[in-house]
Amino acid sequence: MRTLKIFLILIFCNKLQAQEVFSIEGVKENFIPIYAFTNTKIIATPEIEYQNGVLIIQGKKIISVGEATDIKVPDEAVVFDLEGDYIYPSFIDLYSDYGLPKIKKDIYSYRPQYERNTKGAFHWNQAIHPEIDACDNYVNSEENRKSYLYNGFGVVLTHQKDGIFRGTGACVALSQKSESENLLLPKAASIFSFKKGVSQQKYPNSLMGSIALIRQTFLNTEWYEEQKNQNNLSYNAIIENKDLPNIFILNDELDYSRVQKIADEFEIDFVLKGNGKEFLRINEIIDTESPIILPIDFPKAYEVNNPETTEWITLSELKLWETAPYNPSILSKNNIEFCITSASLEDSKDFLKNIRIAIKKGLNKSDALASLTTTPAKIIEIDHLCGTIEKDKHANFIICSNDIFEEGKIYENWVLGEQNVVNKKQTNDFRGYYTFNSDEFNNAKIIIKGEKSKPLIIFKELDTNKVNLSISDNNINIFDDNGSFRGIGKIYNNKISGRYQNKSGAYYEFTMIRDSLLDDPEQNKITKKHNSLAIPNIWLPNKAYGFEKLPIKENIIFNNATVWTNEEKGIVENYDVVISNGKIIATGFSLEAEKFFPNTEYKTVDATNLHLTSGIIDEHSHIAISRGVNEGSHAVTSEVCIGDVINPNDHNIYRQLAGGTTAAQLLHGSANPIGGQSAIIKFRWGESAENMKISDAPKFIKFALGENVKQSNWGDYERIRFPQTRMGVEQIFYDAFYRAKEYKKTWEEYNDLSRKEKLNTPPPREDLKLNALVEILTSEMFITCHSYVQSEINMLIHVADSIGFNVNTFTHILEGYKVAEKLQEHGAGGSTFSDWWAYKFEVNDAIPYNAALLNDAGVITAINSDNAEMGRRLNQEAAKAVKYGNTSQEDAWKLITLNPAKLLHLDHRMGSIKTGKDADIVLWTANPLSVYAKVVQTYVDGKLMFDIEKDKKIFKRDLKEKMRIIKLMSKEKKSKIKKLKPDKEKHYHCDTIYEHED
Amino acid sequence: MQSYAQKPILFIGAKAHLGNGKVIENSVISIQNGKFEIVADASMIRIDPNAFDTIYKVYNNHIYPAFIAPNTTIGLTEIDAVRATHDYAETGGINPNIRSLIAYNTDSKIINTIRTNGILIAQVTPQGGLISGQSSVVYLDGKNWQDAVLKADDGIHINWPNSYYKTGWWAEPGKTKKNKEYQNNINELSKLFLKAKAYSSSNILDLRMESMQGLFNGKKNLYVHANSVSDIRDVIEFFDKFKIPNITIVGGEDGDEVSTLLEAKNISLIINRVHRLPKSQDCRIDEPFTQAKKLSNNKIRFCLSYSGDMEAMGLRNLPFTAGTTVTYGQKYEDAIKSITLDAAKILGIDDKVGSIEKGKDASFFISTGDALDMISNDIKHAFIKGNQIDLNNHQKDLYNKYKK
Repeated sequence: MRTLKIFLILIFCNKLQAQEVFSIEGVKENFIPIYAFTNTKIIATPEIEYQNGVLIIQGKKIISVGEATDIKVPDEAVVFDLEGDYIYPSFIDLYSDYGLPKIKKDIYSYRPQYERNTKGAFHWNQAIHPEIDACDNYVNSEENRKSYLYNGFGVVLTHQKDGIFRGTGACVALSQKSESENLLLPKAASIFSFKKGVSQQKYPNSLMGSIALIRQTFLNTEWYEEQKNQNNLSYNAIIENKDLPNIFILNDELDYSRVQKIADEFEIDFVLKGNGKEFLRINEIIDTESPIILPIDFPKAYEVNNPETTEWITLSELKLWETAPYNPSILSKNNIEFCITSASLEDSKDFLKNIRIAIKKGLNKSDALASLTTTPAKIIEIDHLCGTIEKDKHANFIICSNDIFEEGKIYENWVLGEQNVVNKKQTNDFRGYYTFNSDEFNNAKIIIKGEKSKPLIIFKELDTNKVNLSISDNNINIFDDNGSFRGIGKIYNNKISGRYQNKSGAYYEFTMIRDSLLDDPEQNKITKKHNSLAIPNIWLPNKAYGFEKLPIKENIIFNNATVWTNEEKGIVENYDVVISNGKIIATGFSLEAEKFFPNTEYKTVDATNLHLTSGIIDEHSHIAISRGVNEGSHAVTSEVCIGDVINPNDHNIYRQLAGGTTAAQLLHGSANPIGGQSAIIKFRWGESAENMKISDAPKFIKFALGENVKQSNWGDYERIRFPQTRMGVEQIFYDAFYRAKEYKKTWEEYNDLSRKEKLNTPPPREDLKLNALVEILTSEMFITCHSYVQSEINMLIHVADSIGFNVNTFTHILEGYKVAEKLQEHGAGGSTFSDWWAYKFEVNDAIPYNAALLNDAGVITAINSDNAEMGRRLNQEAAKAVKYGNTSQEDAWKLITLNPAKLLHLDHRMGSIKTGKDADIVLWTANPLSVYAKVVQTYVDGKLMFDIEKDKKIFKRDLKEKMRIIKLMSKEKKSKIKKLKPDKEKHYHCDTIYEHED
Repeated sequence: MQSYAQKPILFIGAKAHLGNGKVIENSVISIQNGKFEIVADASMIRIDPNAFDTIYKVYNNHIYPAFIAPNTTIGLTEIDAVRATHDYAETGGINPNIRSLIAYNTDSKIINTIRTNGILIAQVTPQGGLISGQSSVVYLDGKNWQDAVLKADDGIHINWPNSYYKTGWWAEPGKTKKNKEYQNNINELSKLFLKAKAYSSSNILDLRMESMQGLFNGKKNLYVHANSVSDIRDVIEFFDKFKIPNITIVGGEDGDEVSTLLEAKNISLIINRVHRLPKSQDCRIDEPFTQAKKLSNNKIRFCLSYSGDMEAMGLRNLPFTAGTTVTYGQKYEDAIKSITLDAAKILGIDDKVGSIEKGKDASFFISTGDALDMISNDIKHAFIKGNQIDLNNHQKDLYNKYKK
């Protein structure tokens, strides 16, 4: 059972202020005493310590602090001799919902909610509520207050942990005084997150949707400030709170760079609340240059006794367990400013324990103290009030038995000059050898030993198994475990006197005289463990198959290969290819490496009997995406970008490399007619999300037609959103592009104004949705459209032609063969499946001959995966074009290399083996179109990303690492162990729509 | 049942993959009354051409016995997203009495696209619940299910509960969790089997109980779908207790790790689709591809299936998954065996099909190239019980229409 042994004693209610805003009943207390704390070590700030210090406070404030030699204790002071105890400034927690009401989630409705379901002059989206001020709802909460005090906190920043624009947080002291007195700063910071929280409104239902919504809201604010026609309380609040510190709550280590982009775009400095896994992407976190609020809920060890169930724990979880406690130390070594929060601990009692673990793992004490006091104070700009023990600051401090970062126990936590006893200090030392006398016992010998605050008793003469002892101040209670001896007494000098009742009910007086003290009272003290300070290896990414060191661009000559050039030469045998600095620098017969690398080192790869090709490019993939591939809410979501949510940790990246795939377009899903913008990446395993993007790749956006966008297979409740038919889909496009044209015109008119006119005309509102559509109209953004049946393909071509834009690629396009001529006329390409069909009604006429027919008709044709499994053997899918429709092998190979490169407008640098192109190269054991072909090596930008021999070694390395950590885990104490047990976590299915809320 | 063709036909010159692990480089194969008659090496035998109605000179081509696809919903489903076309999962958890055969649609548009790649026999299998029902083995040809049936009600399928389950989805996998219902489900099964055993001495008719009687006397196979090591061990222990003679494990992703036990109990496996993702992010990336080779090394009888997403329409890729096992170490003729004779043995139809051997049904096909490789799989002729079947399909029709 969880019991917090906290005894709170209110000594005085101090009111330093001469005047107050509340009425006083009865007789006013006018005398405000001075308290002096002497004989104490004061750690006043992370830098200043007073070895023999004196602290003097009056009312809420600190009057003076310093060495005993420098400070005079006033005569009228109440003096507390702390007998060598330590004083620290009390801690500040910036991530709390202390004193706020619990937020209730609406009852889930099967009917989708697209609009607000509450009224008022607020933002259209219910997850955006910057107008909520925590201070309006804050009331003291005795229960929560105790657990904060127990851990040494005196002040918290509290806010409603709900929504994207969460509103402001209040800075609150944890005293028993009234709310008005505790409220140090009503609006101390604005809080943001990516999670929509309890809002049941459909939008946003993906991480990228949240990002777009945040950006659009900031853009709207800029416009709103300049206009005078309408009033919206949410925007008013954003403007009003502009100068407050901003805190952004993150989900994982990848969110840092996501927030950073928003911060840069709108020139906002965010303080980032992390998740304790910062060490996984430390370089990106350094780049943000933002202070961090750090949880220290280190993962618990798993029970590893059963080898088979232990298999279910991934290496990534094991490595996380091992390294997470080093996280604070790694941050401080990298000079990242951070403060520590007690939030998200399963058991709040672990707080100090975990701080001490972090210290053992290398965090130095002064950084630890700063992270709990001065740093948070500075972040929310209360450093003139709190965070250190200095003259005129609030009297917020803790008294500890010893060094708090070692084993110090907190006795008292003073908040606003008010004493809170956390753990009662045992001043009287009962330990020693005693002689016991009563009418029943004559000179019985008793020993009291053990810890001073929790001693044990040995009373042999008593005829029972166990004798218990409990002490408090100078009171003692001795009782056995069968009710035959129950006594109480008081100690005075070396004599205890009292009385007891025996089993017959009779009372006896007794005395216990201390004959001598214990020889060595500290003998039971635990010896300190020495922990290793060496930070475990962190791989990139930190999981199976991760790199210890990122590969570098190599100089290589591949000799004697069968080269599938995808150029005029076709497939050439006994051919050489030379790469350097990430590019192909030469191809030809019998090339001499020395010519290319006269003074530099190079590697020769004997490719005799091997086939060499350019890397496979997957035009349509959904791997490596965080928290939602679909913003499947509104019919038009052109504002969202997959590029914001790339997940470089997805192990499918490595698997694709092992199948010869080196690049992919990560597409938004197909839940809406106008979906989101895609990201075109190379599979640079180990790199950051940003570094995976192909720098000069053009912008693409996903459109979609047919059953998915009309929600045909979403169940009977999803019948609200327009469109529900193909007829409606057409109208969505016309409407969207008419609006885009109007928007474009508005901006053009504004941009044509003279500089002087512009001064008097506010700029139009910038709209991310329409921006993207305008870019389509101006050919700065290309369309990849999910499509199946010929009627809808025809329709979109018709819409495009009449509006004046181009459809770059139709993806899936399984009935493309029926309209090949029309595609060719419009200039659209097709990216299709080799042989999928019959999974929906609209693919009944899908045929595996589609790719061959399209290719024969002169349409640029690609074969894509849309599937993590197929993405690792696309060569086999291309081969099916040979089987179905007799495509030549050379053309079939282009379906997954040169043609997708063309569709993505990247054929100037990718898609063939040609001097000057990127060294994205795959070596195969056999004809790559054959089922018997295996990848030997895969290079991306001339870097070796996969090697069939190295892969075997890496697997062994991973197993070794796993066993090493399992060994450490099995040594872990029982109390720290977590069993693999069922819990209530949601079980996601591979559906189109994914709610990214946890 | 569909009749056997009467006319004698001769095939000469093809490389014959017999399905039993043997190969004849230059073969002579004849069929008579719809059965294989001569199966020989051309250099070892003299043939009188006049004895045959038709002679196929198929030099440089390959002959394979009919490929067999176990554990599939073909004929029970037409379009994944259209519920009206689904006839593979009955409601309620315990349905040993339901029979897939009578729902099998011989004119499913999918069927003709499958046999074009060499798959001529399928075990039509219901899904869902704890006990899904009974499968039947059919030829992928026929006018009605009576016509198509090869073995009616060959076995009952049990979905063994998973003791652990994975959270998350493929794009963002979560942690693996223990299934707290596991023991309850096992208890439920246990009660059911105790009841079914007791039923044999009863004279009251109960459709469920009646349907299960064949399991105890070996007339019906018991197919238990299970994947993890511990689940497979539990399955074997459980049915040992009930003395069920013919058990096959379906799925068996960890099958190679319990080889010793499988061998000792003489239990075979129908393994999951080879073209799948590894079990976890820590596994070897080629783990699904190398499983066949490991099972062969451990002398476990197994056959390949194509169960999973889009299993009916994707079934035509089954031969290529066998090809992948060759890429990852399996001997070619053993790979053929894993979609022919071993499948037939596991389904209990090897007396009729599974290999090119005298006396067996002349159900086979001829491909101009290697049928396990997509660049060369090209089926020119296919025969079921000696009758040549139509290799056209809906998709070829559309191809020809739009090819111009």
